[in-house]
Order: sequence, then structure tokens, then C-alpha cells
Amino acid sequence: MATSSWRFAVDHHDATRARRRSLAKRWLGETPESWGFVLPAAVIIIGLSIIPMIWSLVLSMQSADLVTPARWIGLQNYRVLSKDPNFRAACIHTLIYAGLFVPLSIGGGLGLAVMLNRKIRFIGLYRTLVFVPFVISAAAQGVLFSFIFDAHFGIANAVLGWFGVPPQGFFADSNQALLLLVVIGLWSGLGFCVVVYLAGLQDIQQELLEAAAIDGARSWGTFRYVVWPTLKPITIFLSVWETLQALQVFDLVFVTTRGGPLESTTVIVFFVWNQAFQLFTAGYAAAGAYVLAFSLLIVSIGMRLIRRHQEVDAR
Amino acid sequence: MPGSSALAPLLAACSGDGASDGVAADGTVSITMWHGQADQGKETLDKLVAAFHAKNPKIKVNATSGGVLADSMLQKITTALAAGQYPDIAYIFGPDIASVARSPKVAHLGKYTKQANVKWDDFYPAARDAVTVDGEPRGFPALVDNLCVAYNKRVFKDAGMPAPEPGWTWDDFTATALRLTDPGKGIFGTGWPADGGEDCVWRIYPLIWDLGGDIVSEDGKKVAFDGDSGLKALETINQLAKDKSVYPDTKPGSETMYQIFNNNKMGMIPTGPWQLPNFIENKTEYGVVPLPTFNGDNVTIAGPDTWTVFDNGSARVEAAVKFLTFLTEGAQDVQWAGQAGSLPLRSSTAESAEWQQHVSKTVGLDAFSSALTYARTRPTIPTYPKISQPLGQAIVSMLLDKATPQDALDAAVSSANAALATS
Repeated sequence: MATSSWRFAVDHHDATRARRRSLAKRWLGETPESWGFVLPAAVIIIGLSIIPMIWSLVLSMQSADLVTPARWIGLQNYRVLSKDPNFRAACIHTLIYAGLFVPLSIGGGLGLAVMLNRKIRFIGLYRTLVFVPFVISAAAQGVLFSFIFDAHFGIANAVLGWFGVPPQGFFADSNQALLLLVVIGLWSGLGFCVVVYLAGLQDIQQELLEAAAIDGARSWGTFRYVVWPTLKPITIFLSVWETLQALQVFDLVFVTTRGGPLESTTVIVFFVWNQAFQLFTAGYAAAGAYVLAFSLLIVSIGMRLIRRHQEVDAR
Repeated sequence: MPGSSALAPLLAACSGDGASDGVAADGTVSITMWHGQADQGKETLDKLVAAFHAKNPKIKVNATSGGVLADSMLQKITTALAAGQYPDIAYIFGPDIASVARSPKVAHLGKYTKQANVKWDDFYPAARDAVTVDGEPRGFPALVDNLCVAYNKRVFKDAGMPAPEPGWTWDDFTATALRLTDPGKGIFGTGWPADGGEDCVWRIYPLIWDLGGDIVSEDGKKVAFDGDSGLKALETINQLAKDKSVYPDTKPGSETMYQIFNNNKMGMIPTGPWQLPNFIENKTEYGVVPLPTFNGDNVTIAGPDTWTVFDNGSARVEAAVKFLTFLTEGAQDVQWAGQAGSLPLRSSTAESAEWQQHVSKTVGLDAFSSALTYARTRPTIPTYPKISQPLGQAIVSMLLDKATPQDALDAAVSSANAALATS
């Protein structure tokens, strides 16, 4: 009697434990401790990315300056933005920058990578030299190039002078400043493309290249029918990556021109910064930022579709 | 404000105080100060804070740069206010205080500045005006300066020109700049920041005031430099550009034009007392004269900066006022002005023997010191940036000779007026 009641108690206890465990399992999965590993990253991503994103979406529908209570105005910011000539100019400048920077960095990166993909003396040194500018911060680059391209005392005009070219305005010329920013962007951005392409080139199986050679392919033929198709996924990745980078260009502009001369280099992120922190129209700035974020999303989705399309083709 | 509650614990770590009212169990009040200073300025402040602690054991001042230099303080304080975690004192530029003071979290100091020990009326009028928004003090003067013309004695001597004298005119200035200019040797008559920022803009106001114009109308609804005052001021700048006698410094920060001056490749530069330590360090042979005028009446602009006070409860505001009163008292005022390369905040300090001795040892400081008596300031209105930006573009288009003065003025006036009308 005593034993049976004791046994019943144990059974009952087990049953509740099992039920409790299944509830916990249902919530936390088979390995609850794994949440402990994910938690720090999750907190950081939610706290520093997701919440600010939601907050700025809310902000973009308010008339807000961050220091006084905000007023809800719905889509008014976006309506004003669509008619704002300054924002339009900023979009055009950003598109010009990206339109030049992306193809040139990918084309130049591929060319340099092919050149550096051979066994010659000091090749390691050359590869390092190409990559070094990528490591230099945009702020330092800006200062460096400001001095090089100073219209009166810079070394660039001195060099041009040796070849009989008249001195240029560079950053003091509203027709040249944006192109100059592309040049500086390329100087530092090429290294990244080169390194990624080099990795791709060295992944190509030697047998394929030998087979192509036996079939009588010259170097151009080999490149066209063996190398280029193999590098396609890398090219797609780089196109997305460099486009996202170029559309978000800011630090370079901030340290070299502050959007000048005569607002010829105001890019979207600079426009957003100026509206938020110089003119105290944070809601309006958030709307501008969201227009940019939306464009970036479209670029990413578009590239995904292209890639999927090609994977289907490949099958 | 969604998001701020989640960020609060993250940001609380930055403000560096435990109790929100800042009062510990033993009655010690802790306050936080973001001074945005580096090098010499930071060293001096650290010394003065230590001196304050020695006299006031019941107040603890946590003075840090705030993690930014003064140039970026506006951004920093805006985000701090949005997050609801802000310091008790921050170094805010004069033209920015009105924008910041729209926040209900900026303290009202009227009742404190009336106290006899603060000696509010002893501050220079320009310094007082700079911290007063809508008639109410919202902080303490932090620094005061003004514009005069520094000239390079070597460049003048090599050109065989006599040094400029007080009482000169803007016509003298442009003619002198032209005569000093020597493209063959890469020598410019003068320089002007051309990034469109505040340093580019504020230099034009003395010309506008001198010509009877103003920055903004009485009711704040229109700019007051439309018409002859703005036109003639822009024409003067454009004349320098047409003569190729001005070096337009398009780089943010305008460091280059001072380097050119120090390298004896520039004759004259409108600048403030903050630049003198740099000239002395570079052993530049320089002199300082008041700004030229159009009609003989001395005029210049003071660009005072502020110790803006924020409201974290009355105990902390009172402690902040006590500390700032100490910081701006004669003995400390002399040290701060002397070591940070600025000017006294109080007229009584300017008359003190200690300051007089400092002036006698520093070439050109007397010109800046005496210009304080007639220096005017920019208005403390929140719409100011919307005037400054279009005017900055007009000045840049003059310096780069990309527009006629009339077109540049019209564009700036219509853009600024449109912004003022909607605000």
C-alpha cells in the first residue's frame, strides 16, 4: 500500500515533468541551450539594426527635428521629396557616381587580376600593392587626395604641367569634382575586386585550361569560353556589392568636398546628413534615407532574380 | 518615441552617472560635461575642473570631450536628446544654440544669472547675446573671438608694400590683395574658405552690417541683406576672384589657407585669435589690424561659443551653474582665454593685469581684444542654418567666379526667404 502510493507519486511526478519538458521543447526546440549561443548576436541585431530601422520608418512619416515632440504627417515628407530639386540633384549625382564606379571597378579589377594571375618574380609584392589602398580609411584618402588635387599647390597640376596640360580646377571646379571622386573611389575600390577575382581565377581547374589548349584555343578563346563563364557568379556578387557600396557613398564626399563646389557632389547620404544634422529636418531626412534603402532593396532583389534565372539556364 | 526605451540602457553607459538626479546618498552631486576639446583646450579644462573639485567637494564634474570634437557636437547632442540621455553641459557653437534650445530639455537659467555672484552684466554683450534665446539665457559664454585681418610681414616686405593701417577701406583691401598677388611665385593676396560652411559665411556679415544691411529682418520672416548691402558685399568678394588675388580653400576645415599664409605665400587673411598660437608656432612674421570698412565705422563679427546647460533636475542644474560660474570667473577666465587662444569673456578680465601682460607678450592680440567692444553677433534663431546655407553657396559662386553678384544674391535671397516663410 505504502509502496504503491509512493510509486503513483513518482509516476505522477514524471508525467508532469514530461509535460513540462514538452512545453519547453515546443518553445525552445530540442536543444534549448543553443538559444544561449544565438542570444547575444540576436540582441545586437535587433537593438542596433531592426529597431532603428523601424524607428526611422516611423520618423520618415513625422515632422520631427529630434529635439521637440514630433508631429504625424503621413506621406507628406515623401511628397515634398519627390518635388525637391536638391534631392533630385543628389539622386543624379549618386547615379552618375555608381554608373561610373561599378563598371570601371569590375572591369579594371578583372583586368588587373588576370595580369596578376601568373608566376613571375615579386608577384606577391604586386598583389599587396594593389590591395593596400583598400585598407586605407576613406577619411585619410580624402585628406591625401585633397592635397594632391589642390588647384594651386597640388602635385597633380605640377605633373600635368610637365606634359604641357594647363592647370585644372579639380575640387574647385564643379564639372570635375564628381569625376575626381570616382577616380579616388576606384583607387581604393579596385583592390577589393582584384583580390576576389584572383581567388576565382585560382579556383579554375588546370585540366580545363589544358583541355582548351589541346583543342586549339588561343588565350582570348580560353578567356571567353572557359575563364569568363567560371567567373560569372563572382561578377554578379561584385556587381551587387559594389553597387550597394557606391549608392551609399558618403565619407569620401564628407572629407573632400562637403557636397561642393556649388553642390555638385551632394550625394544622397550627404543630403540626408545635411537635412538631419544641419537643418534639423530629421523626418524629412529619414524619408530620403528610406528612398535610398528601397532602391538598395530593389537592386538586391533584381540581382537575385538574375542569378536564379541563370542557375535555371545552367541546368 | 519608439526605440528610445530599448536604447536607453545602452546609452546610459555613455552618460557616466548612476542616479538620474545625480545626487548620491552623501549629498554629492555628479554632473557630466561634454567639452569637445582636444590638446591644449582639454589640458586647460582638466586643470580648471581639478581646481573646482578642490574647492567644492560636494560637486563632482565628469568632464570629457563627449567622444567628439566640437565640430561634431551638434550631431552628438541631437542624438543624445532624441535618446533622452544627455549631459548637463555641452559645448555648442553660437549659431547652433537656438536650434538645440528648441528642446524642452535645455535649461532656463534666467533665475540663476540674476544672482549677484554670477556677475552676468560683466560678460561682453556679444557673449551674453550668444547664449540668450528669446530673451532667456540657456547657457554660459564658453569662448569669444572675432575677426580681424592678420597680415604676413615677409610677403609685404618682399612686395615693397607698406603694412595695412587701422582705418583702411575694403577698396584698399582689394587693391592691396591684387598688388601682393604674384602667380609666378604662387603668392596670393588673401584667402577665403570656399566649402560653403559657416566659416565661409560668417566672414561676409561685417561687410553687410557695414553697408547698413542685416542678416534677418526684425520679425525673422525675411533676410535683410537683399538689396545694396548684400550686393556690394558679394561684389567685393567677386572682385578678389576676378583679380585672382584670393585663394578659395574648397577643403572642409580651411587648414590649407593658413598653411599657405605660414609658408609666406599669402599676404592677408581675415581670421580670429584662435589662429595666433599657430602663427607663433610656425614662427610666421605677422601683424594684426582691424577689418577694413566701407565708411569708417569699425565693425566686426564675434563668433561666441556656449556652454549650453541641460535640465537633468534642479540639483544638477544648480551644480552646473555653480561650476560654470567658477569656470568663467576672472582667475579662470584668464587661464582659459590665454591657453586656448581666445579672448576674455568678461570686460573686467580684459582690464586685469594678468591679461594685459598676456596681451603684451602676444603680437596682434590687442587688436582682437579691443575689437570686442564693437563686435556684433549672428542672431540666435533656429532658422539660421536655412539662411547660412544659400548665402554660403552665393559666396562660393563669387569665389569661383561662376555667377554674377546679382544672380548669386537673388538665388540666395529667394532660397532663404522661402525657407523662412515656411518655418
